[in-house]
Amino acid sequence: MEGGPPKGKAASAGDTRAAPPGASKYLVNLPSRGLFSSTVISSNPGGMRVYVCDHDTSPPVEQVIKTNQTNILIRSLTLKKQKADSCAKDLKVKIAADSTRGKRSAERPVEGRTSSKRANLSSSNQREGSSTRLPEEFQNLTVERLRGLLKERGLSTKGKKDELIARLKDDSQSDCACDK
Amino acid sequence: MSIWNYVVTAHKPTNVTHSCVGNFTSAQELNLIIAKCTRIEIHLLTPQGLQPLLDVPIYGRIATLELFRPHGEAQDLLFIATERYKFCVLQWDPETSELITRALGDVSDRIGRATDNGQIGIIDPDCRLIGLHLYDGLFKVIPFDNKGQLKEAFNIRLEELQVLDIKFLYGCQKPTIVVLYQDNKDARHIKTYEVVLKEKDFAEGSLSQTNLDNGAGLLIPVPMPLGGVIIIGEETIVYCSTTTFKAIPIRPSITRAYGRVDADGSRYLLSDHAGLLHLLVITHEKERVTGLKIELLGETSVASTISYLDNAFVFVGSSYGDSQLIKLNLQPDVKGSYVEVLERYVNLGPIVDFCVVDLERQGQGQVVTCSGAYKDGSLRIVRNGIGINEQASVELQGIKGMWSLRTSTDDPYDTFLVVSFISETRILAMNSEDELEETEIEGFYSQAQTLFCADAIHNQLVQVTASSVRLVSSLTREKLDEWHAPSGFSVNVATANASQVLLATGGGHLVYLEIGEGKLIEVKHAQLEYEISCLDINPIGENPNYSTLAVVGMWTDISVRIFSLPSLDLIVKEQLGGEIIPRSVLLCTFEGVSYLLCALGDGHLFNFLLNVSTGELSDRKKVSLGTQPITLRTFASKNTTHVFAASDRPTVIYSSNKKLLYSNVNLKEVSHMCPFNSAAFPDSLAIAKEGELTIGTIDDIQKLHIRSIPLGEYARRICHQEQTRTFAICSLKYCQTNSMEESETHFLRLLDDQTFEFISTYPLDAYECGCSVISCSFADDNNVYYCVGTAYVLPEENEPSKGRILVFLVEDGKLSLITEKETKGAVYSLNAFNGKLLAAINQKIQLYKWMLRDDGSRELQSEIGHHGHILALYVQTRGDFIVVGDLMKSISLLMYKHEEGQIEERARDYNANWMSAVEILDDDIYLGAENSFNLFTVRKNSDGATDEERGRLEVVGEYHLGEFVNRFRHGSLVMRLPDSDVGQIPTVIFGTVNGVIGVIASLPHDQYVFLEKLQSNLVKVIKGVGGLSHEHWRSFNNEKKTSDAKNFLDGDLIESFLDLSRSRMEEISKSMGVSVEELCKRVEEMTRLH
Repeated sequence: MEGGPPKGKAASAGDTRAAPPGASKYLVNLPSRGLFSSTVISSNPGGMRVYVCDHDTSPPVEQVIKTNQTNILIRSLTLKKQKADSCAKDLKVKIAADSTRGKRSAERPVEGRTSSKRANLSSSNQREGSSTRLPEEFQNLTVERLRGLLKERGLSTKGKKDELIARLKDDSQSDCACDK
Repeated sequence: MSIWNYVVTAHKPTNVTHSCVGNFTSAQELNLIIAKCTRIEIHLLTPQGLQPLLDVPIYGRIATLELFRPHGEAQDLLFIATERYKFCVLQWDPETSELITRALGDVSDRIGRATDNGQIGIIDPDCRLIGLHLYDGLFKVIPFDNKGQLKEAFNIRLEELQVLDIKFLYGCQKPTIVVLYQDNKDARHIKTYEVVLKEKDFAEGSLSQTNLDNGAGLLIPVPMPLGGVIIIGEETIVYCSTTTFKAIPIRPSITRAYGRVDADGSRYLLSDHAGLLHLLVITHEKERVTGLKIELLGETSVASTISYLDNAFVFVGSSYGDSQLIKLNLQPDVKGSYVEVLERYVNLGPIVDFCVVDLERQGQGQVVTCSGAYKDGSLRIVRNGIGINEQASVELQGIKGMWSLRTSTDDPYDTFLVVSFISETRILAMNSEDELEETEIEGFYSQAQTLFCADAIHNQLVQVTASSVRLVSSLTREKLDEWHAPSGFSVNVATANASQVLLATGGGHLVYLEIGEGKLIEVKHAQLEYEISCLDINPIGENPNYSTLAVVGMWTDISVRIFSLPSLDLIVKEQLGGEIIPRSVLLCTFEGVSYLLCALGDGHLFNFLLNVSTGELSDRKKVSLGTQPITLRTFASKNTTHVFAASDRPTVIYSSNKKLLYSNVNLKEVSHMCPFNSAAFPDSLAIAKEGELTIGTIDDIQKLHIRSIPLGEYARRICHQEQTRTFAICSLKYCQTNSMEESETHFLRLLDDQTFEFISTYPLDAYECGCSVISCSFADDNNVYYCVGTAYVLPEENEPSKGRILVFLVEDGKLSLITEKETKGAVYSLNAFNGKLLAAINQKIQLYKWMLRDDGSRELQSEIGHHGHILALYVQTRGDFIVVGDLMKSISLLMYKHEEGQIEERARDYNANWMSAVEILDDDIYLGAENSFNLFTVRKNSDGATDEERGRLEVVGEYHLGEFVNRFRHGSLVMRLPDSDVGQIPTVIFGTVNGVIGVIASLPHDQYVFLEKLQSNLVKVIKGVGGLSHEHWRSFNNEKKTSDAKNFLDGDLIESFLDLSRSRMEEISKSMGVSVEELCKRVEEMTRLH
């Protein structure tokens, strides 16, 4: 409530208050530009003119600064995405659009092109992303999730597990071809 | 009082928080820029010292202030960020002398926790970006484009949550910050990050250092060619760069501020919490750092900012004591100090407590504050008006006039003092022993009243009596010439200057004489239709000895007339109106502006702007100075001319910013005054008051006068006791024990209210500190006591669980303890209440009775209590009502019921305000200040239909003051003249941490409405510097809510109307539909509240 107490422990003063000789050599050649050279040092702090500002003070139009409101993570993803885009210009537009969709995808590093919503619901912290998945990994997934992946790619979700995997493999191979 | 309040600053903030040096006003000029919380001051560095240029109000509390120069700019720009997350970039336009807004921005984020350690704002030395650390875990970047324009800001996530300091490093390819932080094990480290603008992210830098000094708190980036960073700790100072690491131990101290001396960064000034100034030197061989050296230079105020100016001169800005201009001497003085304090700039902050007293018993309040902290603690006596310091006085009855004369025209000092009585004239002179002694000037006629006397050219003196004008040689003192009044006529009034005499005889004759060498020449004679009441020919033109204008005041038609000299042609006739004749007229010039002043017989004064070449009058204004006839005289103080208006309310008229100001003088009634600049009493005034002639010097001519009483210890509570003419203060002093540990001891001290000397001391127990002190008396006891509330602050306790109430009687100038009562907590507040004592003890309000024991001794007996507060910190009472300001539960209203013997809660404000002060304005309206720098008023709702409504204090006024208020007190800083309108307006004074003394005045509704309209018109004309908005600045704002100001007016804005140019005033007058004169009059009335 008051001035604010000193924090931490305090130091000694007293007998050491008088400066030891020796500071003189460090006080030579203090910078000077010729100001404060006259002996008349006077200033009258009471006689200061109070500034009354009666002109327009609004800044130039483009110099009204605001903060970019994009979430830091989304922004970094977008930036990385753009970077990736510049490396791989022929990346599918659709996928690029997907990548900005869910917030959660942001938690994943670089690749994060897309992932199915349903996949996210079932296991959100497991690394997933259909396009990056090696074909062998499809074996480990349940039929339900395979169907989800297929649906996302706009492929048919019918058939047995092997058929589904084969369909996904076909699709991702064509994807990789694109990437390369 | 009322809910319509007017808030105005009587004493501006003086706490210096930031300062910087750069070429702001032009590429060639070097400026010192000082931030005082809500104002910045621009000074110019000149060979003769600091020249103040401008005092700029800012609509915000300044959080950071930096000068920088973007590429391609010839002069520096000023970056200001405010605590409410606004920033602006200002540029000085030398052609128009205006501050131009280069950029304006809002840097707030919707979510984010404000930093604990204060906002940090830094600018990259290569001007690539501005960095801000406002919220924990976020670093905001405002990039510059290559034209020096600012671009959209963005946030970067900062992993370090407990940041202590951030600085930009010099000489980095990419802008690089160094972060000093504390981890969750309380260890402190530094880390560097490069700001990658393209990716809007950090890249980890190469420099880092872990496990630094536990007290490391300050970073100093070192410019190229050395580069790197200095880390200032409490026990060590470390320099580190990518290649070098150097450390030195220091005596334990907390460094608060640093200032760079050399442009290459090899020397720095450091100031610690005890105000010790050190020089830190980086020794280096070419670009290789070889070590650090630290040398103690001496002692200054505890610095909050240090700016090296030039040629060994340094500005030390302080929050806890006076700011200083110091010089670093090459050789130590006898005490071994290299520091020479050349100038002190008064700082009242932090005002922890104050009281309003009338020490001189003149009906005018003075404020005595507990100011400063730690070793810079002091009492300050703040008085409105100008003091005369008596040097000598003699008893002399019936003085009718006084003039001072010199022995020769070139003599710099006055020798003679001519004192005129009803039938004689006496001459006093300084003798060789510097005593005032009666003497004679042979050529003067001493058997009659002198009407006027003056020094004249050619070593001559002029004396005018009713019958003649005498010209006397000042060397031989012989009469040289005499002009006789025509027979049948006697001279009524006369005036003269060095070469002219103007006099008026009965019958309206005006006679003009000129003074030659040994000769008086009657030049012109004029016959006016009425008698002449007063006249003046004070030279205000180019020739200091000769006036081309004469002004004459008239009986009968109540007019002033201006004649040309020597022709005595009438130029202007101004009717004054009314029936009161002019008694004194004066031509004078202030700050190059010429005025005609005309004082009436009833204490009113007219002033006119005077065109010296044409004699035309304009801009007529009327003010009331007193109730008796006024005599006007000029005098000089510090080479500036002022006017003394002698009357029952003596006043000094002076000019500041080309505006006439009236300041009363601390004397009761003055009939005559004349300047008397003698060798023994230089720059003095001779003053005739009731039966006495006094010679005294006059204070500096300014509105508020502050006298400092340094205590060397930290005063925290103050109270005045009228009956014993003493003050009691609770203070604490830091003492040093043998083991280098510092301990604090608390005292109750008794001070004489005239000399301010300690006359008695009562030391408190170990760990005990004084929390409150009042002077009061009890029912059935005629003594007046000091009651002191204390708390035992034990290091292991979060809240004190024990305290005392001590009751003292002042006997023979000594504090004598009558009784003490132990309490179960800190006694935060004490109040006299219905002949009993009301104490606020932790969460409880407790009432004590004053009991007489059988053995005749006294004791405090607990009567009743009331629970239900978090901490009852501030209590005010009125009748049976008790208003409590709680730590965090705003204001509540309690009532004492005599019959039941109970205290019960009547109503409360349900907002969660953390209070810092409360005051009762009237029966129903209570004023509060809270810790987000807001003021608010609440009203008791006695007419509510339901209990629920009656139990709620309605918030009726809200306002962002931008100042942390520590205390409200009823009272006034100015003399209340019964006949003026403002005499009826009740006021409350407040004191703040920044050293502001302010006034809150409750206005009648119609006046409030009028001024509110004026304020809303002024906002359209007077713009916030940097484009900051007034509406936003004054809107009530805390963590919980933001709402527009209501039922409070910004007096500082309203009173700046008087500083506007005439055309702007007319603009406002037009949109208000009120004449400029009327507006000026109404606003000037308000300025007389403080």
